[in-house]
Order: sequence, then structure tokens, then C-alpha cells
Amino acid sequence: MAYVSIADRDHEQEHHDPQSFITKYIWSQDHKVIAIQYGGTAIFTGLVAMVLSSIFRLQLGFPDVFHFVDPTEYYQLVTMHGMIMIVYMLTALLLGGFGNYLIPLQLGARDMVFPFLNMLSYWFFLLSVIILMSSFFIDGGPTGAGWTLYPPQSISEGTPGVNGGITLMLLSLAVFIIAFTMGGLNYVTTILQARCKGMTLMRMPLSIWGIFVATILGLLAFPALLVAAIMTLLDQLVGTSFFMPEMLSMGEANDYNGGSPILFQHLFWFFGHPEVYIVALPAFGIVSDVLAVHARKNIFGYRMMVWAIVAIGGLSFVVWAHHMYVSGMNPYFGFFFATTTLIIAVPTALKVYNWVLTLWKGNIKLTVPMLFAIGFIFTFTHGGLTGLFLGNVTVDLPLSDTYFVIGHFHLVMGVSPILVIFAALYHWYPKLSGKMFNERLGQIHFWCTLIGTYVVYLPMHYIGILGVPRRYFAYGSDFIPESAYTLNEIITIAAIFTAVSQLLFFINIFWSLKYGKPSGGNPWNATSLEWQTPDTPAKHGNWGHDLPVVYRWPYDYSVPGETADFVPQTVAPRDGVVAGRNHGVSTD
Amino acid sequence: MAEGQEHPLSVYFWIWGLLFIISAFSYAVDYFQFQGMLRWSLILIFMFLKAGLIVAIFMHMVWERMALAMAIIGPPVVLLFLIGLMAIEGDYTESTRLEYFGADAGVYAEPHSLAASEEHH
Amino acid sequence: MSSVATQQLETGAKGFVKDWESDKQTFHVPWGKAMMWIFLLSDTFIFSCFLVGYMNVRMSTRVEWPPVSEIFSLSMGGAPIPLLLIAIMTFVLITSSGTMAMAVNMGYRRDRAKTAALMFITAAFGAIFVGMQAFEWSKLIIEEGIRPWGNDFGAPQFGSFFFMITGFHGIHVSIGVIYLAVVALKVLRGDYEKKGYEIVEITGLYWHFVDLVWVFIFAFFYLW
Repeated sequence: MAYVSIADRDHEQEHHDPQSFITKYIWSQDHKVIAIQYGGTAIFTGLVAMVLSSIFRLQLGFPDVFHFVDPTEYYQLVTMHGMIMIVYMLTALLLGGFGNYLIPLQLGARDMVFPFLNMLSYWFFLLSVIILMSSFFIDGGPTGAGWTLYPPQSISEGTPGVNGGITLMLLSLAVFIIAFTMGGLNYVTTILQARCKGMTLMRMPLSIWGIFVATILGLLAFPALLVAAIMTLLDQLVGTSFFMPEMLSMGEANDYNGGSPILFQHLFWFFGHPEVYIVALPAFGIVSDVLAVHARKNIFGYRMMVWAIVAIGGLSFVVWAHHMYVSGMNPYFGFFFATTTLIIAVPTALKVYNWVLTLWKGNIKLTVPMLFAIGFIFTFTHGGLTGLFLGNVTVDLPLSDTYFVIGHFHLVMGVSPILVIFAALYHWYPKLSGKMFNERLGQIHFWCTLIGTYVVYLPMHYIGILGVPRRYFAYGSDFIPESAYTLNEIITIAAIFTAVSQLLFFINIFWSLKYGKPSGGNPWNATSLEWQTPDTPAKHGNWGHDLPVVYRWPYDYSVPGETADFVPQTVAPRDGVVAGRNHGVSTD
Repeated sequence: MAEGQEHPLSVYFWIWGLLFIISAFSYAVDYFQFQGMLRWSLILIFMFLKAGLIVAIFMHMVWERMALAMAIIGPPVVLLFLIGLMAIEGDYTESTRLEYFGADAGVYAEPHSLAASEEHH
Repeated sequence: MSSVATQQLETGAKGFVKDWESDKQTFHVPWGKAMMWIFLLSDTFIFSCFLVGYMNVRMSTRVEWPPVSEIFSLSMGGAPIPLLLIAIMTFVLITSSGTMAMAVNMGYRRDRAKTAALMFITAAFGAIFVGMQAFEWSKLIIEEGIRPWGNDFGAPQFGSFFFMITGFHGIHVSIGVIYLAVVALKVLRGDYEKKGYEIVEITGLYWHFVDLVWVFIFAFFYLW
């Protein structure tokens, strides 16, 4: 039918709650269940990757004490840690998990536009995880090529996992991309086409804006990875020479002829840099919402925040080769990419200012989600500032492939999004479960995590400046200064401490599921739509009989003249006048 | 009620015919072995004409609202960066190969000056 | 687009702004059509990356690129005619695009029989295209000795990119043939009498996209 009827589909859709356990929790098409499936799988793989990092940290910190990791395994652990964390944990959790959960709820939709496709997306994601994990159990183990999988190394004899691990990795990535495409199409179409009455784009919570732009980035950037993966697979399995040059490998000339390894790097980073923002933008959005709710104040510069997200998204496609300053690419590219890289810092810095200004004179409630959100501002600023160093070619050259880089990207796109993920998990846990988590345990978890990660990553900058290279199994004696050895030990201890302290989170979550106090529908007194559902946790179809109607933006906190310090988006204006800020209406 | 994209059939027949004619032209470019800049400009002009006609008429883009058209046509602009930079990079890679490996890659090698003027067949 | 609604909607730049600031939906099209367009956008990036890789490798190779025009020539009555098979394939694909456009038109006129017939014709042309591609591949592999990893004419990447890109396009065509056949059967069965015939247009979008990609492959692979 024509679009007119689609917009008012609410009465057309009679929702029959699926009854059996299988249709309700396994083959479910409900976006909330799919979100939990996605999130649970992503968190599980993330835990695996965290354990891997603890194991190789033990080797790095105490090379003479522990002997259960040999160099081959070390490279495999590092590679799998990186790839799992970036793709299978962060991307899947932020978009598959939070995207699925928040988009219909915050936009006033009953579900994604194509629930069946959405379900398929999860099962393909699970398949990709299984393929990836199976590489641990095959002969030769997973690939040890580093998470960037650069050929010729990744498919040359001598690299760990060259006979199967790399194949499974590339296959798994291809399946993941199919899964992501199915989900991503759903997210974008839902945001554009299935909002409730009154929900204009400029009345969407910033979480949705972040997820929206990140998903578009994913749909346009993952193709480059898919192409690179297909071509590498063909090089390895069929013997084509896309990326493989003719060279001596293990003392023998290989059968390849005239491939261009640098082309792989370009394709990989044409995906890889947008990927950073695929992870960062949802985090930006979610943290904005958490800050506004718990500071009881509207987000500072909403429109600026939206345009900054859009600008970062656009610019992220023209900065990719700043990962390649030392690769041997055309040296003139350095100028272009250093310039664009520093330009992208402008909207990013703008967002940081706006977060801080949101806190300014707010009625700050130091709840657990708020603690994590504020922690994010610190780690993101620190990680972002070192990015300015690395974005400049001349500064980057000596720092390339040192622990400075490791410290930089772990702070900016490892720790920062994870802090936001925790903020979000604590923030929406009451909506998800109907129960309140244990506040004190959450606080302890926060401080352990924040201090732990700082002890891990700040010293890395120092040892990086000393010149300690990354990807070394052991440094031997007289190669790096004594202070670096000591710091390596401290880092390892802190890393394991931080890893173990994550148990607090899981204890909290599962304990509260049973023993937590009932939270009620809107424990944070928040304005956005997901807190206004008739049931908590929301039932299949989300909104009962009638879809909500939105009258205002989602940041009406502490509005002068109102009795409550928050006005939900669904509250109609009194006497035709909206007391708070009336954003996104065509008259302004 | 009238719905979706409905247009007179004659439009499609016109475009259909045009696509055949343009295809014939671009085929002629190869048949008569035009070379150099002429070949390239002709190939690209015919290519974009055909692509434009398919997107505009067959895929109904000219009749879509501007919001949709811009949302679909806008993002591929970033590809122009990829294409341009990879073209430059291709030339640069070739120059480094010639410099470090020399031009004697078997019987198919060509001298540097020829290879540098990239726009040959 | 509904003619009733179109009269209420502003057009041009003003309509552009209104659409983006409206509630409920941004594009005045069905969900499936919006999704198909976004998918095609994503697919555009896949094919672009393939072609960019091809361009980069071809520009950087030190080895002569094989003489494309001769390799793809077909002997007719003793004399080789360059690119003859490709010309016919192009002809077939454009024809199928034309029949598809007419199927969309017939769908909106609610002429079930003609819609389904035209879609089957389109699918048949698609199948013919895939068949000719199979013929082209086997000719290249058996007669010319061109392999994905090398050939006797010059740069080994010629075969690599040729088989990969045309193969990927061929997969798209094959999927399109199946997709068309399924939708045509459902049209014939009358499944869309209530829901409306946008699905034919959505299928058409995919099919025209496949044709669109061929335009670029034709220009960059056979004419360069």
C-alpha cells in the first residue's frame, strides 16, 4: 500500500505474543530479545578476548617466570584479542545490542521494520562467532598475523595459522559483514521510516543519532573489508596475486607475481578508520544521554552535537591513510591525511566541550552510570589528545609501532567505548530487567575499572616514547631500559586486576536479577520514550494498544516553571505552549 | 488509487532505444580502435550517460523526491576520494617498482616514459 | 508515490527540507523500497572497491596488460570480431532492463498476467546472460588458457580480476533471476492484490542495479 497507511500501521498490527519458549527466546523476532542475544554473545566473545589479553600480558610482564606461551601462541593471542574486541565485541554490542534495543524503544516503534531479517542477522552473527572460535581448535590454531591481517605476512609460510586460521578468520569476517548488513539495513530504515507521531529527526535522542550515523558508516565501510577479505582468500586458496608480490619466503621464491600489498592496506583502512567511528559514535550518543539524565540538565548544544556526529561520520572516510604513514605509500599523501585528521579533531573536541558544559551547573547525581560517563570524558580526552600527536606525520614516524600507539588506541577506542557500554548497561538495566542493581557494588566496579585501566595504559605512553616496539614476544636483556621492565610488570598486574574486577559487574547483574529491588518503569526520571513504556520490561510490541505521541525533544530536564524536574517527551504542551525547549519543530 | 511510480510506456521505449544506441557507440570506440584521451573521454561519457539513464529513468530517480535522491547520490562522493587517491597511488607504486626492480620484468616490460603516461589501453 | 499525497507535499528544495524535518518518516516510499535503496548504496561500495582495486593494480603493474580486445573477440565466419560476445551480452542485459521497467508499469496497472509474464521474460534474459557468461569463461579458460593465477599474455592480475569481478556480478545476476522468478510466481498467485505492487518495483530496482554495474564493468574491463 502507499506510504500513508504504513505510517499509521499501529492498529493494523495485531501483536500475538509468542508463547512457547523457543519462539519467545530462541527464534525470537522481538528486537528486545534479539538485542539481548546480540549483547550476550558479544559480551561472551569480549570475555574470551579479555582472557586472551591477560594470558599474553603475563608473558610480556614476566617473560622469565611463565612459560606457557610460546612465540607462535603469543601472536595468535594478540591477533585474536584485537579482532574479537573491535569487530565481534564492540561493533556487535554497540550496534547489534544497543542499536536493536534502543532504536524501536526510543523512536516509539513497535519493532524493527523487518523483524525476520533482524533475527537472521543475529544468527549469522552467531555463525561468524562460531567460525572464528573454531579456529582455536583446528590444527595450527588461529591466525597470528596481527589484527590488521596484512598480506603478504598473513598468508605466507611461517606465520601462525597460515593453513587454516587465516581462512577461518576471513570467512568469519565475511559472514559477520553479511550479518551486519542485514541488521544495519534494518536500523537505518527503522530510524528513517518508522518513527512515531511527533518524532522528528531533531527530536531523536543523541543515542539514536550516534547509532544511526555509525550504522551508515558500517554499511559503506564494511564493503571495503569484504572486498579485501575476498581478495586475500583468493590469494591464499586459488593462488591469485592481488596482494601477494613475488618474494622469498622461508628461503624459497613463492608462486606469486606482482601483487600490491599496499592496496590491501588502503582497502583495509578505508574500512578500518570508519570502523573506529562505528564504535565511537554510538558511544558518543549514549554518553550524551546518560550525562543529561543524571545531571538533570539538557544536553548542551544539541544541534551542534548532531552536526558534529554527522561531520565526524563524513570526514571519517577521508582520513584512512593516517594509519599508513610508515607503509611506503606515496609520501605526499601524508600531507593530505594529516590535514584531514586534524580537521576531524574539531567536531570531536566540540563534543567534549559540550559534555563538560552539560555538567556545568547541573544537578549532578553521581549514580553508577554517571560515574562511568564521567570516566569516559577523561579517558576519551586523554586518548584523543595523543591522537593529535599520532596524526602528524613527523611525530608519528618515530612513535609508529611502539606502545605509544597501543596506549593511544586502547584509551580512545578500547576503554572509552567500554566505559560507555558499562554506563549504558547500568543505565538501561532497570528497563531491561525491571530490577535495580546494587549501587555500592557498581561503584566499586567503576573505581576498579577506571583506576585499573589508567594504570595499564598511561605507562604505555611512556614506554612507547622510550621506543619499546609492539608485537614483540619478549625483549631480552639490554634492549629496553630497566624502567620499561618494571612498568611492564606493573601493567600486567594492573591488567589482571582490572580483568578480574569485571566479575563484580556480572555478580551484580545476576544477583540483582533475583534479589534486586523492583525499579519501577522510570527509575532515573528520564524523559525519553523507552522509559514511558506501559510495561517494564517492555512487552512484545512495546507500546500496548496505542503508539506514543511525541511533543518535545528528549532533554526537558529542570525546565523553569515546571513542578517536576523532567518533562517526558510524551507530555503535551499546556495551553498549546511547550514550556521547555521546543526543538525540531518547523517554526523555529 | 494510483500508487508508486507509474509513467507512460513510451518513456521506457525511448530510453531503451537510447541505451542501445549509446552501447553501440561505446562498442564502436573499441571497434575503430580510438586511442589516448579521445578513447578515454568517449568511454567515460558513454558510460556515465548510460548509468545516468538507467538510474534516472529505469530506477525512477528523477521522479523521486529530492530527500531520497540526495541520500542515495550523496554518500558515493567519498568514493571519489578513494578512486582519485588510488589512481595516484597506482602511479606511485609503479614508479617505485620501476626504480627498485627495473623495467625488465620479462618480455612484457615497457620503458618508464611510456608507462608514466598512464592513459594507454 | 500516491498522487493524492504528492499534491500535499512540497517539491524541490523546499520539499527536501520538509521531508527531513518531518516526523514519522523521511522518505515517502514504502519500507522495503527504502531498504532496497540503502542496500544498493552499500552494494555500490562493494563493486566500487573491486573496481578501484582493479584500477590500482592495473596502473601499478610493470607487466604489459593482456590485449583485451583480442582476447574477448569471437570468430564469426573466419574473421575475429572484437568484443562480439560482450556486445551481445550487453544487448541482452539492457533488453532485460527494458522488460523489467515494463513489468513495474504493468504491476501498478494491476495487470497480474502481464506483470508476471514480463518478469519471467526478464528472468529468462538474465539466465541467458549467465549462460553466455559461462560460455565466455569456458572459452577463456579452455581456448585462451587464462587462469585466475596467470596467463600467457601478460599480467596475471588480468585473469584474477576478470574472474573475480565478473563472477561477483554473475552471482548478482543469478540471485536476481531467482528473486524475479519467486516474485513473479507470487504475483501470478495474486499474493500482492491486497498489499500492492511495490514489490515489483523493488525487485526492479535490484535488477536495474545489476544492469548498472555491468555498464561500469563493460567500460572499465572490456574497453580500457
